[in-house]
Amino acid sequence: MDFKMDWITLSSKFIWGGVAALGFAALFNVPRRTLLTIFLLGGIVVFTKFLLLGLGFSIVMACLCGAALIGFLSIPFAHFVHTPPLIIYIPGIIPMIPGILAYRMMLGLIKLAGDTKAPDYNQVLAETVNNGIKVLFILVSISVGVIVPMLIMRKESVKNIKIIKKKS
Amino acid sequence: MDESITTLKSDTISRCGTILLRVATLLMSTGANTGRIRTTVNRIAGAFEYQADMHISQRVITLTLFDDQDNAVFSSLKKTPPHIVNFSIISGISRMSWRVIEENWSPDEIETELNRLSALPHYPRLAILTFVGFAGAGFCRLADGSIIDMLFVFLASFSGLFIRQEAVKANFNPYLCVYFASSVAALVAGLAVKTGLGDAGNHAFVTSVLFLIPGVPLINSISDIVDGNIQNGITRGVNGLIFSFSIALGVLTATLIYGF
Repeated sequence: MDFKMDWITLSSKFIWGGVAALGFAALFNVPRRTLLTIFLLGGIVVFTKFLLLGLGFSIVMACLCGAALIGFLSIPFAHFVHTPPLIIYIPGIIPMIPGILAYRMMLGLIKLAGDTKAPDYNQVLAETVNNGIKVLFILVSISVGVIVPMLIMRKESVKNIKIIKKKS
Repeated sequence: MDESITTLKSDTISRCGTILLRVATLLMSTGANTGRIRTTVNRIAGAFEYQADMHISQRVITLTLFDDQDNAVFSSLKKTPPHIVNFSIISGISRMSWRVIEENWSPDEIETELNRLSALPHYPRLAILTFVGFAGAGFCRLADGSIIDMLFVFLASFSGLFIRQEAVKANFNPYLCVYFASSVAALVAGLAVKTGLGDAGNHAFVTSVLFLIPGVPLINSISDIVDGNIQNGITRGVNGLIFSFSIALGVLTATLIYGF
């Protein structure tokens, strides 16, 4: 694996991940009080993804773990800023969407529509299928990841989830 | 029963039903998932001691209210307004639904609050454009782009979103708006590759259109399917897919123009 564990790179990823999440927050017109939370969530998710990739996880697993972490974190954060968790986790996980893989898949598809006798046709076919399947699995894993906590807690609203159990 | 009391009661019921329909259509058009719409409407209906049953789809919502004797007392359907993601409204309606229960709100108070929420200002246009420009630069950095690449992506996202907003104002088809935006963004970012200023990996070109990703339909699609609202999930998924396709088509246009 060519990726090195480097804390400076990881923290710069944290900041730019947060900035990317903030862009979508502005686009979706989130309430102003949630902006800082969204920055943090966007940073955390990108940080986690690259950390796990550095530890040798596959890209799909890294995205699933990052998204699940965001799903869990969004519950206390949602309590804190008084908003449904959906509003903070959707802009938060968008930096994980696999744009480059999707682009490579599309380029591959265009090549596949061309000459079948080209010398690298089989290699392009393999790479395109590989990239496409990765894109599909990453998209499914990030959307499933963020709703994992809601599936586990089995509550209709996070307002009913007590973070600290009250002694009665 | 006295006739005037009956009329008064049916007035409140239809008023309550109309407001619930307005809540449901507002939530649908601003990007809430189906489970949330159902929960919120049931919560508010419960505060007035009705039971609400709904058929929820993308374009129209049907609602029937039942009273405590299980008689259907109100039934109607309403078209949803054009879909524009606005999380301030979802957050506001969610907070409101709890206050309706806790503070015993009347239908009038709910309507005033809905009017207030719909009139809430968006972020200033320049601020949105700048934020999205920086988000594009962030995507570029995450993909290991250089500083010059990031600058090009900033300009590309900024101008792409500007074109999209103008196209939406001019009432173009939503998919066409995304196509225009993605071709403009890819054309601007393609300059980095064409002039040789960017690095070899085409990072600017690839990340310039990422601000158009239909994140809300794609994520809501999966959460609806997992929740059992499979029809809505498929509708949203197909919608997201066509948006992605429009983005790809825009990039393809720029590729053909530059001849990469």
